[in-house]
Amino acid sequence: MYPCDNLGLSCYNQLTMEGLINGKAGYFGVRIVELILTLFVVSFFTFAAFSIIPGDTARVVLGPNATEAQVENYRKQTGLDKPVAERYGDWIRGAVTGDLGESVSFRKPVSELISSRLPVTLGMSAIALIMVIVISYPAAMLSSRRPGHALDHILSVFGHVIFAIPPFVLSLLMIVLFANLFGFISIGRYAAPSEDFAQFLSCMLLPSLCIALPKIAMTFKFLRASMIEERASGYVKTAKSHGLSDVRIMVRHVLPNSSVSTITVISLVLSDILGGSLIVEQVFNLPGLGRLLLRAISVRDFPLLSGMVLYLAVITVVLYFIADIAAAMIDPRQRLSERARP
Amino acid sequence: MKNILEVRGLSLSFPSKRSSAVKVLDDVSFNIRDGEIIGLIGNSGSGKSMTALSVADLLPETASVEGGQILFDGEDITKMKPKDRRLLLGDKIGMIFQDPMTALDPLQTIGRNLDEVLQIRNIPVRERKDRIIEMLKTVGFIDPEGVYKRYPHQISGGQRQRVLIAGAALLHPRLLIADEPTSSLDSVTTMSILKLLKSLREKLNMTILFISHDLYVVRNFCDRVMVMKDGKIVATDNTEEMLTGTNNAFIAEMLAKSRLDPSELLLDMPSVDYSGSPILNVKDLVAGYSSGILSRKARTKTLKEISFDVYPNEIIGVIGSSGCGKTTLAKTICGLMKPTDGEIRMKEGMGLGVVFQDPGSCLNPSHNVRWHLREPLIASGSKLSPEEQDKVIRRVLEDVGLEQKHLGRYPSQLSGGQRQRVAIAMCLVLEPSLIIADEPFSSLDAVLAASILKLIAKINRERKTAIILISHNMRIVRAMCKRVIVMSKGRIVEEGLTGEVMKNPGSDVTRELIEAEKMLGGARQSSTGA
Repeated sequence: MYPCDNLGLSCYNQLTMEGLINGKAGYFGVRIVELILTLFVVSFFTFAAFSIIPGDTARVVLGPNATEAQVENYRKQTGLDKPVAERYGDWIRGAVTGDLGESVSFRKPVSELISSRLPVTLGMSAIALIMVIVISYPAAMLSSRRPGHALDHILSVFGHVIFAIPPFVLSLLMIVLFANLFGFISIGRYAAPSEDFAQFLSCMLLPSLCIALPKIAMTFKFLRASMIEERASGYVKTAKSHGLSDVRIMVRHVLPNSSVSTITVISLVLSDILGGSLIVEQVFNLPGLGRLLLRAISVRDFPLLSGMVLYLAVITVVLYFIADIAAAMIDPRQRLSERARP
Repeated sequence: MKNILEVRGLSLSFPSKRSSAVKVLDDVSFNIRDGEIIGLIGNSGSGKSMTALSVADLLPETASVEGGQILFDGEDITKMKPKDRRLLLGDKIGMIFQDPMTALDPLQTIGRNLDEVLQIRNIPVRERKDRIIEMLKTVGFIDPEGVYKRYPHQISGGQRQRVLIAGAALLHPRLLIADEPTSSLDSVTTMSILKLLKSLREKLNMTILFISHDLYVVRNFCDRVMVMKDGKIVATDNTEEMLTGTNNAFIAEMLAKSRLDPSELLLDMPSVDYSGSPILNVKDLVAGYSSGILSRKARTKTLKEISFDVYPNEIIGVIGSSGCGKTTLAKTICGLMKPTDGEIRMKEGMGLGVVFQDPGSCLNPSHNVRWHLREPLIASGSKLSPEEQDKVIRRVLEDVGLEQKHLGRYPSQLSGGQRQRVAIAMCLVLEPSLIIADEPFSSLDAVLAASILKLIAKINRERKTAIILISHNMRIVRAMCKRVIVMSKGRIVEEGLTGEVMKNPGSDVTRELIEAEKMLGGARQSSTGA
């Protein structure tokens, strides 16, 4: 036998984490602490910012005709007279138990308001995400197969065009194109999923596409670059020297490898979509989170605003967390760092 | 003897829109006999890799074949259907490449990486695994089942090259093309890979086309040698005749240029006073990489209780295989890494310079050579006027063998050897009394590597600069260093005058390094005719 047991590159240990079990628990532990810390910092700063900016909640609620005494009284009742730190403490205690307070403009619990708007945003996000993946992956595969060729140029130009058109123009274009010309997609008649699921889906399609298109262009561009890079790597050369076909190399090797870095981009895209798209909701007249946020800002509805910012922060941080775990699932280098010796 | 491969009049070029096409292969013709190991040598850019890639049909898309025949077993494979030609790879022709670190899909286990070769040829699952395990055993793995389940990052570079050889040999191809398979491996690993290839030839009855830039590697390994220069095959002969007879001018020149003669280099070196005070004193040095969030304590110690002295004017060698801690030692001494324990003391008023392995990545691509040479002066707060700075830069430039015209060039406009010279010049402008050279030649071909080593010897001689030369190659250390430190697994296992360490090696690591040197060119005196 050959002395290959002692050819070890022991320095590889240095660059990696501890063994499988140790490292995994430690890694996820750190990430969860990071996650909670981020949520605290984000929520505190938004809460603090809303207390500094001009605009008085009590005045907004009671109207310009209320007397100073009435305003003062309202403040005492709702606890607005307490210092910021104390109010934040009260609020975050409630938030942990799921109570985000009551919206002053809607006079309804904030959590109820957010959850009632969630189906629209979740529905659009899910459909848009599917569109992003289903379209950008094949396009990037086609494009990266022969960079610089006609098809690559056509796809790239097309990508730039949809990326460059402002969303509201894109939305209007879509309406004209699909609803007026083809007429099979309903617009403006929103139905809750519990009432009429088919109608819900059909009125989601077009807005989802409008949200998805720029994201498709972005994901495509990123994936294309990543795939071109992966195609030049050593393992592709090895696979070719084993007699593997181009298609197989693309699907079995290039695709998973370029996905490792693309997952982060997709999580960015998704957190963007889940925040609600103000413009698309406005154009298509959908009761989503974007419009709720706009309303909350315009009437200085602080409880609602704080609740929504917390929601956005949670979504973003949790998505990053999921993206990291997904990348670790695909990539054994992030999952198994122990250098075992055969 | 029957020819397994005949290449006739092969011409290849890279068409370019602006200028005339760049001719890479010019009417290349050669034969490979059944069962032989034939070497193909030449400097970087001579067209050796392109020749191999043409045979395997793995040329980059921009290349255009202008003519020629490639007969494999009497059949012209250039006229085959694309699918048949593709399946010929792996089936009849196996191939391995230079860099084993990136040549396996990092997301798949070794088993799955190899499995595909058989899967696309519709071999049943059960049989596939058995054949892979069998082949892994053949290439020298003691625990093939274990390796089968591992991921590429969990095994070393040498082991990866074995896996790749297993993949190439899985279907028992008639011809194995090895494109610089050992250039990125250390000398001990190189030796074991060459031994493996030789044994595989016997076991599987393979013919091997071995591509290399290193005459010393080819010498003890190949039956015949072909030499390429500027896209042409300039000589073909049996290895012994080729390398002993100096009737071919080009070979003679290549031999002379890549030769490192200790009797020549060492004699010229300034004398070293070992009784004086050392210029660098390293004591009980411990360093490593920590993985904790709060603690800085090293979990994995890469350096363990390292102690040694470096004296003025000397070239001291630090030798060891990949992963022994040589580079960490260099990084720790020059301050790029913090030691966790121990002391590093420089003699007062002495400057320290460092030159790293890869000259390409050490230079900033958006600045020219002049900027690179002025930057250290500015960063060190030099009080010289711009004119005086220019004077220093010009003198250093001359010392490293570059010309005035190179000052305005950018890294991308320089060759690998020139880039390494710039890196050395950057270190010289501050006139250090000690330079750490961490394998500054390992990414260069044999001729260029020798020229850089000669430059380092010249700097030592003329500037009286002490040098720590880090290498995995005993041949280089023997030619350059009076004193040597042998490292293994983060420790110094042996230290002493090079001649004595060579004569009475005190550790297995040293013996392995010496054995590797013997195999990779120990017969130097007899065959160079010097």
